[in-house]
Amino acid sequence: MGVRDPHGEVTGTPDPVEKGFATLNTIRIGVKAMVQKDGELRKAEILSIRQRKDGPSFYVHYVDFNKRLDEWVASTRIDLTQEVEWPQPEKADKKKASASNKAAPSKNPKQQLAGDSREVSSTPDALGGKNVNVGKASRPSKAGGKENRDASTPGDSFGAEAASADGTPKVVDFEDVEMADAQDEKTPEEEEVKTVSGEIITREEEIERLRTSGSMTQNPTEIHRVRNLTRLQMGKFDVEPWYFSPYPDSYSDVDLVYIDEFCLSYFDNQRAFERHRAKCTLVHPPGNEIYRDENISFFEVDGRRQRTWCRNLCLLSKLFLDHKTLYYDVDPFLFYCMCTRDETGCHLVGYFSKEKDSAEGYNLACILTLPQYQRRGFGRLLISFSYELSKREGKLGSPEKPLSDLGLLGYRQYWRETLVELLTEPNREAMSENELAVITAMTEKDVHETLVVFNMLRYHKGNWVIVLTDYVLDEHNKRLEKEKVKGARKIDPARLQWKPPVFTASSRTWNW
Amino acid sequence: MTRYGGLGRTRPKKLTAKASIPIVREHEIDVIDDELQSTLQQIETGVEKAEESEFHLQVAINATAKGNVNAAHIPTPETILSNLQYDELYPPLFSQPATYIRFSSTVEDCCGCPYNMNEEDDVFLKIFNQKNPANRCSEDDFEATMNFFEETAEAKQPFAAVDSPPVLAFADMEDSMDAAVEECVKRFAKDIYEHWKSRRIAAGNRSLEPSLKFETGQDTDDSDPYVCFRRREVRQIRKTRGRDAQSAEKLRRLRKELEDARQLVALVRQREVARKEMLSMERHLFAQRSEVRDMKRKLNIKDDDEDLINQKPKKKQPEMPPRQPAAPQLRMPLKAGLQGAEDLQLLEDHQAEKENEIMRDIKQNIAKHIKWNEGFVDHTRAPLSPSPERTFDTAAFRPAFTAQLPTPPSSEASADAMDTSLDVSPLSGRGDKLASRAMELHEEPSRIPSFRRRVGRGGRLMIDRRNLAAGCKIEMDPLRSDRFKFDQEDSDEESSYETDGYSIQIMQHRAITMAKAREQAAVAAHAQAQAQAAAQVQAQRRLQAEQAGNNPGSNGPPPAPPAMVAASSEA
Repeated sequence: MGVRDPHGEVTGTPDPVEKGFATLNTIRIGVKAMVQKDGELRKAEILSIRQRKDGPSFYVHYVDFNKRLDEWVASTRIDLTQEVEWPQPEKADKKKASASNKAAPSKNPKQQLAGDSREVSSTPDALGGKNVNVGKASRPSKAGGKENRDASTPGDSFGAEAASADGTPKVVDFEDVEMADAQDEKTPEEEEVKTVSGEIITREEEIERLRTSGSMTQNPTEIHRVRNLTRLQMGKFDVEPWYFSPYPDSYSDVDLVYIDEFCLSYFDNQRAFERHRAKCTLVHPPGNEIYRDENISFFEVDGRRQRTWCRNLCLLSKLFLDHKTLYYDVDPFLFYCMCTRDETGCHLVGYFSKEKDSAEGYNLACILTLPQYQRRGFGRLLISFSYELSKREGKLGSPEKPLSDLGLLGYRQYWRETLVELLTEPNREAMSENELAVITAMTEKDVHETLVVFNMLRYHKGNWVIVLTDYVLDEHNKRLEKEKVKGARKIDPARLQWKPPVFTASSRTWNW
Repeated sequence: MTRYGGLGRTRPKKLTAKASIPIVREHEIDVIDDELQSTLQQIETGVEKAEESEFHLQVAINATAKGNVNAAHIPTPETILSNLQYDELYPPLFSQPATYIRFSSTVEDCCGCPYNMNEEDDVFLKIFNQKNPANRCSEDDFEATMNFFEETAEAKQPFAAVDSPPVLAFADMEDSMDAAVEECVKRFAKDIYEHWKSRRIAAGNRSLEPSLKFETGQDTDDSDPYVCFRRREVRQIRKTRGRDAQSAEKLRRLRKELEDARQLVALVRQREVARKEMLSMERHLFAQRSEVRDMKRKLNIKDDDEDLINQKPKKKQPEMPPRQPAAPQLRMPLKAGLQGAEDLQLLEDHQAEKENEIMRDIKQNIAKHIKWNEGFVDHTRAPLSPSPERTFDTAAFRPAFTAQLPTPPSSEASADAMDTSLDVSPLSGRGDKLASRAMELHEEPSRIPSFRRRVGRGGRLMIDRRNLAAGCKIEMDPLRSDRFKFDQEDSDEESSYETDGYSIQIMQHRAITMAKAREQAAVAAHAQAQAQAAAQVQAQRRLQAEQAGNNPGSNGPPPAPPAMVAASSEA
């Protein structure tokens, strides 16, 4: 597609300009442009470009929107009447840029990219050159008029975030690298090349973090920024995936991936899926039912015993959980799966995973309500169930961090409601945070922060008081009324048939 | 644990977790310190820092903080109802059990053949079945065959995706067909192989079903986002000899156990095959019989139809004694073919039982006899009820056991007993009685020579003896005794010889030596004296003999008690 030719020429220009007008042909990956979203223009970053019959389409990430809203847009939605921000010229880019410039005259971007990556990866001095990453002099020359190195750089969101996260310039650097070549999802070698010494340390740290902690932390390089599945067929629903998930890479080419609702196996072919359905006999999660009430059942599934099923579950949930990592296997986790029942079986609604032995005292690793069942209070039940298990264990627990945006809201709501419910009990005149924690199985920290967040903990006339604000009381009463009408959806501890499982050291770890 | 912003002049008290905090309503406090914003900043959301600033989240957080929960809505991609024929794909088969479900089968257990055919396979199969109407291949058989190919290829070319070898040849496929391979696979393998091969080639000799990427041990693994579910490194255990031996032992045991299990399964298989054969034989037999029956009907033969039923061997009477000691038996479910084991009876048990019965009878009879004979002494030969008063005898007569005592037995007890009969001359009745008692004695004691000492009138000592061996068996021949004659020193004599003067051997020996001494003395004294003449001049000779008895004491027995003299004189 000729994108590169003008681009190469532009990057060749020495003056460092951050903004500029672009044409469809000059837009490249990393560019931030204004894109039509729900009737308004939003700044969005181009993460991938693909050629379609009717012209190129662009995978865009809206700045300050969650990644789940990333999408493929046609070129018509990009407002080229406004200036675009060119990707920040980072140190690594020069090599690549030069490499790509040399390789530029190819027609197909994919081919070209492949060529690039190979070339780069084969040149050892790419690494060497990157190590000496302060080559400011050379950078502008390569960066051309498009790249800006100003305060309001294109990387501002990333730069700022990265800095606040780590405070190390390395990370900023690293983010930029990432951003610049997020395009080439097909060429992992290239990414490899770019993770040079500086970042390798952080990578090792990341892996170490993965090794020692639970499931949620994720190496930024692992974030695959372009969603790979288009659409999902599961049960009675067609679901749009939110994030990347490492399903077989050929699946990114098909329009619809079929997921068996019970065994969670995946198929890229309808006929094969139907054949499978004719044979599959599973009608509920393959574990022991530990809770049952009128509406739902909970099944406990051991990652070690049900490896295939739990892997399938993780692949599926990765589609909706950004910060879940599938880096390591499922052995050290237990999966608590919530189902609704009908005559076809127990349909998975949501689940949470839990480390068999959490060094950090987490009582929950990942939690997900499947999108087709969201906004119906199932998430609250899941959270509530996780605390019910903690109560049974006699421990205080907290979810593993980071939380997603939805997770944070869900948890804050649950915490608030739980605490308010306790505090409004008759004849309660005073309570310590510790008491609250012990009763709810929340950690003292969570209790305290919840009180603070909802402005309930105040310093009044030289004393601390818990204030039941009008707002929380209103909410509480609303909820009670709602429950009167709809019936309370609660976990009834009496129906929980569960003893905390005990694992030997060997079964907790990864020996197979 | 809290640091509550800068709250004006006074620094607030520290709040501890254990501190009880009063609960109040909003209207109960007047001043609201508007430090909300500053405190909110301090609370970590737990969301990834990079995402905290996201627009929708911030809106939602601020909305809840301001008390407007409904605004807290984070948009998510939509889900829509699928137009898939759900009811056909998911049949309503589930019925909820009354108890909580317990389940441990895996996905693999529940999904049947892992290969699922696609449209391409459909086309092939359709054509194939049209061509071979006689040998139709079902979808299941087709999938089983394809799966066999896939699995074999995976096993034989595990790195096919990396080093792209040629597609596995059919000969290799045939090689790996063993007993475990289903019949249908063998039947269709040849026909389906080409189809599989072409599909495999089209797929670049990769697995036909796309699979997840697992770690390959290469450096590219780490950066490849498709590589998932890595094994976590296991902590290295220090290697010691003990651990080596331990694990070797474990492996050995494991191997042995597996081998045992394999054997067991093989045997079970053998059994089942045999049973199957038996069933088919029975079936065959039945068919033949029904033929015979038909023939009989046709030919109007009437008999007792003995040939149409199995002649069952008559069952043995269950004469097993109920009190037979229950031998510990392995409780195994009795197989149809193993009924013989039930009435297996050990010969020993049977014999023991019989013997017990006999002994019981005998004992009963003896008891009866004893009852009848109460108050009587049975002097018949070998009486059934032996008389109880045998003890007297043993006390009176001392069996001349060769038990050697360090000192001569004290004779007091017996002396007491005997002294009562001091004046009693040997009574004939008594002698009879003794004789009869001797008869009663068991053979063994009756053979033992016994002696008793009596003191007669005037202080005469008498020794009675009985059961002396008829012929005096010379156990120590003269030559040999002679040989030891001077072995001992005189001072040691007493201690070196057995001191039981009544022991039969010594007495015999003494008698012999005395005889010798007598001879010698006779020779020495008279030189020409002859045996007959010696008998005639008894008194003189006795005197001489007595002298000899005393004189050759050097080689003789220990200093003889006075009884000794009497004994010798009586002998």
